[in-house]
Amino acid sequence: MPEPIESPPPVRHLELKARLLLLAMVLLVSGAVGYLMYARGAFERTQQVVLVADDSEGIVVGMSMTFYGFPIGRVGRIELSPDGNARIIVDVRHTDAHWLRTSSVFTIESGLVGGTKIRAFTGVLSDPLLPDGAERKALRGDAAAEIPRMVASVRELVNNLGALTNQDAPLNASLRNLQLAAERLNGPRGAIGVLLGNDADARRLSQALERTNTLLARVDGLVLRADGIAQRTDGMIARADQQVFGQDGVVSETRATVVQLNGLLADARNSLKKVDAVLVEAQAIGANTREATTDLGSLRAEVESSLRKVEHLVNEINRKWPFARDTQIKLP
Amino acid sequence: MTETDPSSGADRASRRGLTRVVDAGIELGDNALLHLDPARWSRSPARWLLGWWMVAQFAAQMLVLALSPTSYRRHQRPFIYRQLYASTAPTLPGFVALSALLSLVIIRIVIASAAAYGLSQYALDVLVRTLVVELLPLLVALYVALRFTMPSGEEVADMRQQGVLHAIWQGGGDPARDLLLPRVLAGVFSVVFLAALSAVLALVMTYVSLYGFTGWGFAAYTRDVGQVFTPAATLILGLKAFFFSLVVAILPIAPNPRYDGAPLRPRDEISQLGRLFALILLIEVLSLVGNYY
Repeated sequence: MPEPIESPPPVRHLELKARLLLLAMVLLVSGAVGYLMYARGAFERTQQVVLVADDSEGIVVGMSMTFYGFPIGRVGRIELSPDGNARIIVDVRHTDAHWLRTSSVFTIESGLVGGTKIRAFTGVLSDPLLPDGAERKALRGDAAAEIPRMVASVRELVNNLGALTNQDAPLNASLRNLQLAAERLNGPRGAIGVLLGNDADARRLSQALERTNTLLARVDGLVLRADGIAQRTDGMIARADQQVFGQDGVVSETRATVVQLNGLLADARNSLKKVDAVLVEAQAIGANTREATTDLGSLRAEVESSLRKVEHLVNEINRKWPFARDTQIKLP
Repeated sequence: MTETDPSSGADRASRRGLTRVVDAGIELGDNALLHLDPARWSRSPARWLLGWWMVAQFAAQMLVLALSPTSYRRHQRPFIYRQLYASTAPTLPGFVALSALLSLVIIRIVIASAAAYGLSQYALDVLVRTLVVELLPLLVALYVALRFTMPSGEEVADMRQQGVLHAIWQGGGDPARDLLLPRVLAGVFSVVFLAALSAVLALVMTYVSLYGFTGWGFAAYTRDVGQVFTPAATLILGLKAFFFSLVVAILPIAPNPRYDGAPLRPRDEISQLGRLFALILLIEVLSLVGNYY
């Protein structure tokens, strides 16, 4: 085997070094492939969640589903269901699947900047676990969809602002008046001039203020005198106190009177008890009288029958008596 | 690996097939090659096509040789090992320093700009897409071409010029297998090895720049990296690195139709670099089209 004309200087342990290089390349490439497979989730045990959404715009295979900002799964497949909805099949890592419960809510959000995000929310972590292959409706929140509405509102706002700042707008007129008022505020009469409008009234107001001041000085004197009166009244009240509540005051005498009244009342109660006994006896007398009255009734009946007999006898005598022809009986 | 007798009929037939390209300068004759002068290619599209056809044929034969087990017999391994070592080991420290510096600068720029615009969460995505997937393979291809395969191609051209290849051929040897194939293999190896090394280096430096020397960001980082490397993107990256390595390894060594007995002039090297660069850019553009359309 002929050698090349320009052979490079021999390298020591050439074969070993070359083999090491080859080994290094194999390690690098296989390591990179392994890392990428790990990063793509080839070695993870997963379970599936099927999200049903109106449209799958912005969703790409491989994007993450986050739970409070932490990625717990990735989109594995997107397909169109027979009823026209997008079915997003998300592979959730088995170790993170316990965050998803039957009450979990899934949202698809598209921001103004950046890609679409799939988020999961779980309010009640004590609910039953979401089963493998469960199908859930995904709520869609689209910031871009809000823009036209916002633009319309802003246009309305700008129109209103334009109307407000117009040359003959009420706000403009108010501002002009305000400016006038501010100028007058800075004038010699100040706020009073602004309030009253003309100088004559303002002058009168100043005079009234001066008179009020003198009045106040007099009121001060009056108050001082009233103070003196009040002090004297205080002395009188102290003396009255002494007379009313003192050693020989009205109150102590009243108390003695009340004691005497108590004694009088006890005597009266005794008298009343005696009257009670008298009344009981009177009741007994009344009962006896009622019995006597009953006897009197029967006596009266007997007397009446005797009288009727006597009358009958007199009638008989009168009829039989020849001198008496008048049959009329004259009652006494 | 099968051992075959070089004097057998099948081997003779394969040697005849190889003759035309490997010893192009000798077999075709100087006049024929003069007609293939690239300066005249522009005047004749047929000749331009013929020149590229020769390159393509050489590449195909090198691929066949590289894939045939007989090219890796025990007594051929020292040639391969020598070229493998020569292609990578001397350039390794310089390349590591260069790629680390470039990566660091780009990482800092991207992270700082992303932070300035409040888009830090997209910094990693941008870095992996631009640095690891696009820039570093391109850098590696150009670096290996300039540092190894173009000087190596010059050596081969010198040998062709001095009739060394023909002498080996006449002496019963196989210059394609013993002299050219190891250089091609070394070029391919060098590109793949350095690309993988620089990519790993850039990924590590990106992680350190984003999270510092801690391990807590590893899961999130891995997840983000995984989102960039979709199966399609990974396949395109692999294909791109492979074709880069083929272009870088084969084009400078392919027979130069310009050969007319005179030494190569600097202008030829520049035109060769131009061709190389054009092919690399074509592959890069195709990979971008594949990635983003």
